[in-house]
Amino acid sequence: MKNGFAVFFAVCVALGGSWTGFVLAPALQLGTAKQTTILNSSDNWPLQRTGEATLGLQVYRANGCAACHTEQVRQDGVAFEVVLTGAGKINPVAVSNLVSTLKLSGLTKDEADAATVKITAIGGKVETHLAATGADIARGWGVRRSVAADFLYDVPVQLGGVRVGPDLSNIGVRAPDANWQLVHLYAPRAIAKNSAMPPFKFLFQVRKIGASPSPDALNLPQEFAPADGYEVVPKPAAKELAAYLLSLRADAPLYEAPFTPITAKP
Amino acid sequence: MSEENKSSPASTEPTATRSTVPMWILVVTLVLLFLGFVFFDRHSGWFDARVYSPYASAEQLDAYQPKTGAAAARAQGKKVYESVCGICHGVDGLGKPGQAPPLAGSEWVNAKGVSRLAHIPLAGANGLISVEGKDWNMNMAAMGAALPDADLAAVLTYIRSSWGNKAGEVTADDVKSVRASMGGHPQPMNGEQMMKMPE
Repeated sequence: MKNGFAVFFAVCVALGGSWTGFVLAPALQLGTAKQTTILNSSDNWPLQRTGEATLGLQVYRANGCAACHTEQVRQDGVAFEVVLTGAGKINPVAVSNLVSTLKLSGLTKDEADAATVKITAIGGKVETHLAATGADIARGWGVRRSVAADFLYDVPVQLGGVRVGPDLSNIGVRAPDANWQLVHLYAPRAIAKNSAMPPFKFLFQVRKIGASPSPDALNLPQEFAPADGYEVVPKPAAKELAAYLLSLRADAPLYEAPFTPITAKP
Repeated sequence: MSEENKSSPASTEPTATRSTVPMWILVVTLVLLFLGFVFFDRHSGWFDARVYSPYASAEQLDAYQPKTGAAAARAQGKKVYESVCGICHGVDGLGKPGQAPPLAGSEWVNAKGVSRLAHIPLAGANGLISVEGKDWNMNMAAMGAALPDADLAAVLTYIRSSWGNKAGEVTADDVKSVRASMGGHPQPMNGEQMMKMPE
């Protein structure tokens, strides 16, 4: 080969370049990520999932849930809200008059700072609240964007790329009932009439009711219920998957994705 | 291809010649590189692992952190109090006999001004001090000297508004001015000496 060395060199540069970009740089950026704390709190984030939920992640993976569901909430921007916490003693009437004329929600940072200066200048006390905005957040899929810390204990991370179904990063907060999750896995259309989700009936067992009904038996609507004298009980995999789904929550404010929790509102 | 080449079949192979890169290509490339780096600088956060869209830089993310309200300051004050002061003065603010005077109901804590109160954690206290009509002969190190102004202010606000105390808020600026007024080598004082200070 005439240009053997040049070809070898070019191959090294091409492979080395992509290795640097796809492996080395992310490892340097996020490889040392550690458990962190929730904003303005000493509580740890994220918490290790329970054993059952950790097994459920593998059930989630094995059944290809990530083919239709994502676990990543996107955020387009932030909106500030200025909340009056006290009218002060100097001139409470002027403060309340001023507040009634100002726009106090859906502000940019500069607008919020300007409103804060105006109100505090005449003795009022305010707090500034921060909220995440974006299409995903407007749909109720989350309260803030997903960040790398949320996935610290997931092996492998189930980000997903296609949204045939809704995003699941906050499903443990949105549907915190294990029985709801199990009924939905057994017969999605029992919950959403036109659901495109396939029923995962093989994660359940239809069996004859023994001496007494199982406490685990699903409470199904008539249309989806088994024949009289039979009951539907979840197999261990279904219980693990439900535990995993309940453990999916991204509802805590973090430094890298700050917002003011609703509970903080006076 | 020139007319001459067409007529002779032996020389139809095109030949590459050497010529310099046109100057405009160089200029356009450099301008594009420059704009690319400007965009990178404004939007990348310089690969900071904590900066995500919609934030453009670590400075912006820092500036956008929610303003901590009174509740957050109180929580911080409680946290610092319980880790630094509460060991002797007690998490209930009642003090420990023979070791630390109570803070609940203490005239030093509930004073109108804060310079005497702030002086105690900043410089320490040494010798006789009268608290709620009872004399304490004690030695307290400058436990608050190493705390940031905001933390010490949060602690003082916390002790002035807890366990039935209802004195005013202490700001970080108050602590800063007391710290500045003490000079480089603050000495722990006893109660009598402190009474000579402005309140």
